[in-house]
Amino acid sequence: MSPIEWFEQQIVDGRTRYVGDGAPPDALHARVVRSPYAHARVRGVDASAVAADVVVLLPGDVRDLAPYGCQIADQTVLALDRVRHVGDPVAAVAAATPRAAEEAARAIEVDYEELPAALDLDAALAPGATLVHEAHRISENDAAYFGIRPEHGTNVCHRFRIRHGDVAEGFALADVVVEEEYRTPAAQHAPLEPHAATAQWRDGRLEVFTGSHTPFNVRSDLARIFGVGEDRVRIVCPPMGGSFGSKTFVRVEAIAAALARKAGRPVSLVLPRAEEWVTLNRHPSRIRVRVGATREGVLVAKEVDAWVDTGAYADCGPGVAQKVGFSVVGPYRIPHVRVDSCCVYTHLPPNGAFRGFGATQAAWASERTMDVLSDRLGLDPLELRLRNVLRDGDVFATGETMHDVHFEELLRRAASAVAWEEGRSGKGLALVLKGMQTPSRASIAVERRAEGGWFLRCATAELGQGSRKALTLLAGELLGCEPREVVFLSPDTDVVPYDTRSTSSRSTYMMGRALEAAVADLRASGGERGEGEYRNAGGLDPDTGQGVASSHWHQGAAAVELGVDEETGRVELARAHAAVYAGRVVNRKGAELQNEGSMVMGLGSALFEEVAFAEGQVVNANLSDYEIPSLADLPRSLTHDLVEKPGAEVHGLGETAVPPVPAAVGNALGSLGLHVTRLPLTAESVLAAVDRRDGRDGGLA
Amino acid sequence: MTAGPAWHQPTTLEEALALRAELGDEAVVLAGGTFVGVLMGQGLLEPEALLSLGRVRELVAVEAGDDLVLGAMTTHRAVERSAAVRAGWPALARAFELVASPRIRNQATVGGVLADADYASDPPAMLCALGARAVARGPAGTREIPIEELVLGYYETSLATDELLVEVRVPGGAERSTYRKFRSRSHEDRPCVAVAAALAGGRLRVVVGAVAGTPQLFPDVCALADGGPLDRAVAEEIGRRYAERVDAISDVRGSAAYRRRVVAVEVRRAIEELAA
Repeated sequence: MSPIEWFEQQIVDGRTRYVGDGAPPDALHARVVRSPYAHARVRGVDASAVAADVVVLLPGDVRDLAPYGCQIADQTVLALDRVRHVGDPVAAVAAATPRAAEEAARAIEVDYEELPAALDLDAALAPGATLVHEAHRISENDAAYFGIRPEHGTNVCHRFRIRHGDVAEGFALADVVVEEEYRTPAAQHAPLEPHAATAQWRDGRLEVFTGSHTPFNVRSDLARIFGVGEDRVRIVCPPMGGSFGSKTFVRVEAIAAALARKAGRPVSLVLPRAEEWVTLNRHPSRIRVRVGATREGVLVAKEVDAWVDTGAYADCGPGVAQKVGFSVVGPYRIPHVRVDSCCVYTHLPPNGAFRGFGATQAAWASERTMDVLSDRLGLDPLELRLRNVLRDGDVFATGETMHDVHFEELLRRAASAVAWEEGRSGKGLALVLKGMQTPSRASIAVERRAEGGWFLRCATAELGQGSRKALTLLAGELLGCEPREVVFLSPDTDVVPYDTRSTSSRSTYMMGRALEAAVADLRASGGERGEGEYRNAGGLDPDTGQGVASSHWHQGAAAVELGVDEETGRVELARAHAAVYAGRVVNRKGAELQNEGSMVMGLGSALFEEVAFAEGQVVNANLSDYEIPSLADLPRSLTHDLVEKPGAEVHGLGETAVPPVPAAVGNALGSLGLHVTRLPLTAESVLAAVDRRDGRDGGLA
Repeated sequence: MTAGPAWHQPTTLEEALALRAELGDEAVVLAGGTFVGVLMGQGLLEPEALLSLGRVRELVAVEAGDDLVLGAMTTHRAVERSAAVRAGWPALARAFELVASPRIRNQATVGGVLADADYASDPPAMLCALGARAVARGPAGTREIPIEELVLGYYETSLATDELLVEVRVPGGAERSTYRKFRSRSHEDRPCVAVAAALAGGRLRVVVGAVAGTPQLFPDVCALADGGPLDRAVAEEIGRRYAERVDAISDVRGSAAYRRRVVAVEVRRAIEELAA
């Protein structure tokens, strides 16, 4: 058995050691005391009833620590005088066993004075809304890599703009204009492995073992929090049991580290499942789209106002707002575009990176609008898209010239997979254009092992996406050795060179390029050790959206065929297909699984995934009341394409097939006259659409 | 620090009954653990003691005669896979087969799903439609309780604190029966609306489950089917009246108004299935 197969076999056998399996024998186990209120003043925290041998972390212990946040420094290790969401940590304990920690956490009494809360976008944006934070301080973390534009005195912590052409002039040319507002809810990542970290201080250095795919960003924030140099912080990231974006930036590491400092011992913090829903979800969104076309179906102008709800702490919400901002233009030639995309604080649990990173919300709004427009024009939705889709050499709304774009082929493949030409009742199509983090940097070292074979040292983390395998295969090709001779070390910031992070479907491409450079360096420098770096350049002006949004584009299309039980609104999927541009496939099995997994995740978001809140409290924080798709929910036919081109560069594909799926499902309903603007497309919302279509008041909301 | 709940693990029914009488409210009865385990995991239930029936072998039984007798500790999976149940009580096998996933059904028990009285369950409505009776045993002896009298409300039954539910008796002889599970979300979800219907001795019994605290049966509405053909008009009328009469709640699976809409449709469809 080769090491690669052995690696996968380990996961299947349960032999992979995750962070939660690996606490040292003298480690204490932590629990967090969390706010039951969405917004309250903390008048006092009383830990006098806690057993003497339990280490208790109180607001007073962390008051002197610096605030943190990957893009806006708005979070403290524990809430100090105010809690800002249900689940906001107010205290933490560490005890000999998880059970003792749980009891100690329950023994802590917190005195709260409830305050008015802004529980959704509408409330947070209303004039005179309660402010979640009084000031917006941009983070020094390098994850704040673009111009962040907070609007002080409001709940808007970032607004991104695109100004391309002149929309007034554009709409004047339009024969048909359609306008609609779309919404998406919070969703939960629901990886099998919850958030987990073990922290310890040794000789004044902080060491954290954590399930994270952003080791250098976590190191940077922890160093700043504790006022030590980055060289005094070591982050090690073992493989994760899934993440889907939830294990990015500081999540549980700061609390574990502060407890460990106070305890003088290692502290392990593994979140109970229910706490996942108050730790990070996907941004709810409200997106208003207005688009104009000539009667021949040529797009002439588009205006978008988008708001994403980042919850009580910004996290990477500004980045999500930016990516919503350019994804929502869609992969089309449009001469006149205006986009305003805002990241908004509310008193909900924080929202952050979620597979698709804003493109799901954006595609839902923009691709539904394309079908509404095609309806108004009396034009086949496929034909409308073909008349406007970006082709090589076209200029996108950001001003960048597109290259290596294949939207037409992806669209045609998706349409043909559902036999579009045989009639389009019950069928829907959607496209996605998704950027890869730009600018960013990846570096890697290749070293000959004394025992034979090679070490790869890099910060690419394995979260189940298969990057470790893809890079091992690439290394085998480049080094001219068997993949089993390549040993891929887990990210450890003490021994691996810098990498931006394992997000944005960038690792196979970026780290793969760096690996090519490292192997060239190895060859040029004696054959023992080589280092390589790859940078992609670009970035957007936040005030005009002009520049280079993405050094290369993730491109995908989805098609869906479905039926509706019109008496109950229940949707039955018949077929789903995704076509994803891969450029060149490195690890075929892994790539196929990424496409399938993305589609299934997209179907969950399309049909039923939604974090439900009552007064800011999550009411379905368990996997019985919060549903994710099971195998039984898949359509009879779930297929996909990995489109390759001779000589093409590798394209990331870990997320591409998520965003177009909900829009394709929505468009398939649209083909039946069922117009729904809010995800998920629950049976109840579809039945309400049947009532509307048939002009009946069925008493549904 | 406490060591967690005290753990009682009798191996005979006699022993279990003695412990139940002795401990009463202090001990939570643990059958398959799919309900109690979740509640404890979420911190919603912190029992001082657990009385586990997992080793009481005499409570595991599927005996099919005129009546079907299911021991309280029989798993859902055992019921759904029993050839005798599939042959004689096919809709009942179906109702158990539609619960959650095989992993859950290998663990969840017949007694557990009734004693939990969790409204969002499949089997109670079907058992009720078939006229099943729960057999409870305690110091005062043994009594049989019709399902509609066993389940009193959300998580509430008429079992006394010194009684154990030991078996369920399901009459045979229904000419036709059907179970329709309506899920508003995933196929592995609990029912949004459950409709169980049976024709026995020419009498129709339609039970709606999962829309409020108890399985709901309206004999006077079912009587509309007496003496006439079970045609679409009758099915529709009964569906309409059930939708008017049911108590319905709003939860993550659907609003009360939506549930009523679905009740009308699913009751009609269930009756049409019986007539087909």
